[in-house]
Amino acid sequence: MELTKGCYFGRGVRTNALKSFKLSVNDPLIPLASEVNVPYLLRKVAILLFTLWVAATLNFILPRLVPGDPVSVMLAKYQGRLDPSAVDALKIAYGLNDLGTPVSEYFGYLGRLLRGDFGRSISLFPTPVLDVIGTALPYTLGLVGVTTVVSFVLGSALGLYSGWKRGGALADALTPVALFLSSMPYFWFALLTLYIFAFKLRWFPLGGALDPFPGDAFSAGWWSSLLRHFTLPFLTILVTSLGGWLITMRNNVVSVASEDYLAFARAKGLTERRIVSRYVLRNALLPSFTSFGMALGFVISGQILTEIVFSYPGLGFYLFQSVVGLDYPLMQGIFFFIALTVLVANFAVDLLNLLLDPRVREGRA
Amino acid sequence: MSGIRSLLRQPFFSQPRALTGGGILLTLLLLGLLAPVITRYDPTSLEFGAFMPLSGAHPLGTTAIGQDIFAQLLYGARLTLLVGAVAGLIATTLSVALGLSAAYFGGWIDEAINALINVFLVLPGLPLVIIASAFLRGGGVWPVIIVISFTGWAWGARVLRSQAMALRERDFVQAAVASGEGAGRVVFMEILPNMLGLIAANFFGAALYAVLSEAGLSFIGVGDVSLVTWGTMLYWAQAKGALLQGAWWWVAAPGLGIALLGTAFAFLNFSIDQLGNPRLARGRATLPARVQRPPSTPIDPQDSAAQPLLAVRDLDVGYASAGGVVRAVRQVSLDVAPGEFLGLAGESGCGKSTLAFAVTRLLAPPGAVLGGSVQLMGQDLLALSGEALRQVRWRDFSVVFQASMNVLNPVLKVREQVYDAMQAHGVTDPKRLDARARELFGLVGVREQYLDAYPHQLSGGMKQRVVIATALALEPRLIVMDEPTTALDVVVQRQILQEIAQIRTRLGIAVVFITHDLSLLVEMSDRVAIMYAGQVVEQAPAHQLYAHPKHPYTQQLMNAFPPMTGPR
Repeated sequence: MELTKGCYFGRGVRTNALKSFKLSVNDPLIPLASEVNVPYLLRKVAILLFTLWVAATLNFILPRLVPGDPVSVMLAKYQGRLDPSAVDALKIAYGLNDLGTPVSEYFGYLGRLLRGDFGRSISLFPTPVLDVIGTALPYTLGLVGVTTVVSFVLGSALGLYSGWKRGGALADALTPVALFLSSMPYFWFALLTLYIFAFKLRWFPLGGALDPFPGDAFSAGWWSSLLRHFTLPFLTILVTSLGGWLITMRNNVVSVASEDYLAFARAKGLTERRIVSRYVLRNALLPSFTSFGMALGFVISGQILTEIVFSYPGLGFYLFQSVVGLDYPLMQGIFFFIALTVLVANFAVDLLNLLLDPRVREGRA
Repeated sequence: MSGIRSLLRQPFFSQPRALTGGGILLTLLLLGLLAPVITRYDPTSLEFGAFMPLSGAHPLGTTAIGQDIFAQLLYGARLTLLVGAVAGLIATTLSVALGLSAAYFGGWIDEAINALINVFLVLPGLPLVIIASAFLRGGGVWPVIIVISFTGWAWGARVLRSQAMALRERDFVQAAVASGEGAGRVVFMEILPNMLGLIAANFFGAALYAVLSEAGLSFIGVGDVSLVTWGTMLYWAQAKGALLQGAWWWVAAPGLGIALLGTAFAFLNFSIDQLGNPRLARGRATLPARVQRPPSTPIDPQDSAAQPLLAVRDLDVGYASAGGVVRAVRQVSLDVAPGEFLGLAGESGCGKSTLAFAVTRLLAPPGAVLGGSVQLMGQDLLALSGEALRQVRWRDFSVVFQASMNVLNPVLKVREQVYDAMQAHGVTDPKRLDARARELFGLVGVREQYLDAYPHQLSGGMKQRVVIATALALEPRLIVMDEPTTALDVVVQRQILQEIAQIRTRLGIAVVFITHDLSLLVEMSDRVAIMYAGQVVEQAPAHQLYAHPKHPYTQQLMNAFPPMTGPR
């Protein structure tokens, strides 16, 4: 047997024959222009609209599943205190005035929804539901917006530390602490915070969003009043939601740490700083963004309970009021708006994802 | 995910977290079950005074209407655990049913279920539960359980669906389908047993959600507040102004119970999850420190002709495992002369890659160097650390990985990844960087415009060329190539190898080329080393090794060549 150099190669393929055709590995040339991934966007818009529709439909169906009807329950509760126009409005809202088939009722309901007509609140009659939501929404958005961003940044930073330095005492201790913090009932933690810092120590006010007479809006005194009322709700939501981000980020970092591109980055002699910022962080953040949607639902849930404990006049507080007062139109309106808020935030995150992940941009992921 | 057998085999309950979680859960369960034994009071009887302080008779005092709080706490554990367990079970069953159907049937069924999952994932859970419960008020604990189950299944369904989809594509499932097994049999006998761990983790996640949701619902008075659960205890404590009365224990006790139960569920969920994803497992097996390093052979600086570029002496490398240290590389000594092409061959698992990782200081725990020395240009590589090691990397030696498909960072442009290797070693002028990057791409035959591509836009062969171009960026003295072409088809493999050979001779770079393909090495190398079971069994110039293999293992490897003529 004689081995002729160049004749046999690897898995026994004749390479002489291959020299005759020059294969260019560059072909086919993939278009490199990074254009917006329109199908991705369209799909996300479709999911947004579809989910909104489901929320609206649940709002329509749920009252109709109740044995008996909500209007008579409410009439009994507000015996003699509801004026006739409110009773009519209720009957129309719940389709109890024989307006037609359930199908036509349903489309009538969707039509009113599209026009922004959520009916009138019962407990705050005759204030339109939309007006109640209008007063409450800024507080909820302020609280949710600030806490979510701070909690995400801080939790992810701690998770990055915990994952990157794992094996170290502090880094490993962070995980069980985070698990415990995220297993606490939000409102319970809020109650204890309120008891200690507002009731016992009197460092912060007991509830509300502003003092009764805070001064002119956006004046220095007004801001200070706002901040003092904001601090405790903010801290409780922060502490109870931080753990979730920490665990998510830690898990992502651990997965990324065993990726080949990380070993390659290390082999290249990159500085630790660059490895963490450009290789670990960028890649580990992406799954965090993807799970942002679900986490946001949890934050909102915590927010509702926290608002109740601190009598913070946001959507959660009014939702509670509407549940206590059997104010079904307000309840439904608030649910729809909370869903809308979460969905829009989700959509914003999807857009951000589009910016951060070239694979999503190209429609590969 | 591992099946039930590996679940039992794995040291699951040796994990401190699993142990803690299981312990807490068991304790709470026992407290609930043994409530009549532990306390003689009825949780609902109103026989005591209001707001009695902590005392021997009433360890947690009494409520505003004279109930014993300690008795309530014990009995409350029953319903709270029941809600967690039953709602967790229903939600998990829903997740499994929907996730598996989606994965097994695919097509429009999958589309529909996936849409449903997405909707329930983004619909905010608690408000939905509140709305639903508001319409289902009264009627005991079951409406609450049902509502919580029907809002808490989506996350699990999503996880199980993707896991089942991965399993669906696996060979053993495909084989079962092809052999005509019915859908039920395939799902229940083939797919489900392999997902038990994930399903268990999922159950504890759902139970955690259920307990927290029940507490939240009860707290705002939705559901049935006449029942005794930890959630309703908090409702009454709040409604009766317990904190204003200073009876903080009325609030603290049930809340702490929920937090502990939640932590137990979270710990169990987390621990089971770790079994399926060992990378998350905490801690690292410990290795003995590198002891008794034999004095490295001093190299005579006068005799520069004989001075090897790379000198490996008596290198011992091992991996820590549960059963002790597994030695993967034993007493290996190798020299590479400047500009030399050294082939390193051996079967899979013989320690070639471990050797390469140890020499290039890329060995990650549980691997560790146990003894020996590695000198590059007279510098002790194993003694370097931190900034000194970082500076030597890529400037003096570079590495081309076995799995080059995944060595490029998916979120950075190729240009940045070629640049940063140079930037890390002092080349910062943008013009120089650009010029060098173009030059390198020309060298390995990739069009310049691909500098602005993302890795996923490149084919496998192009990625490999980019990696080789990067390895050449600083013109190191040595490149270690660990099976750089194994994953490529033979045509591309051939081209790349030819280019490596050309560039190496032109630039005078030494190459350590690792492969299991001996025929390839004999063709390309100056010298070949054969590795077997962690040891170098033979080293010789390529032609000599080919003509007169000495070691029996080498002879066997040679006989594995396909003969050029005659019957195969």
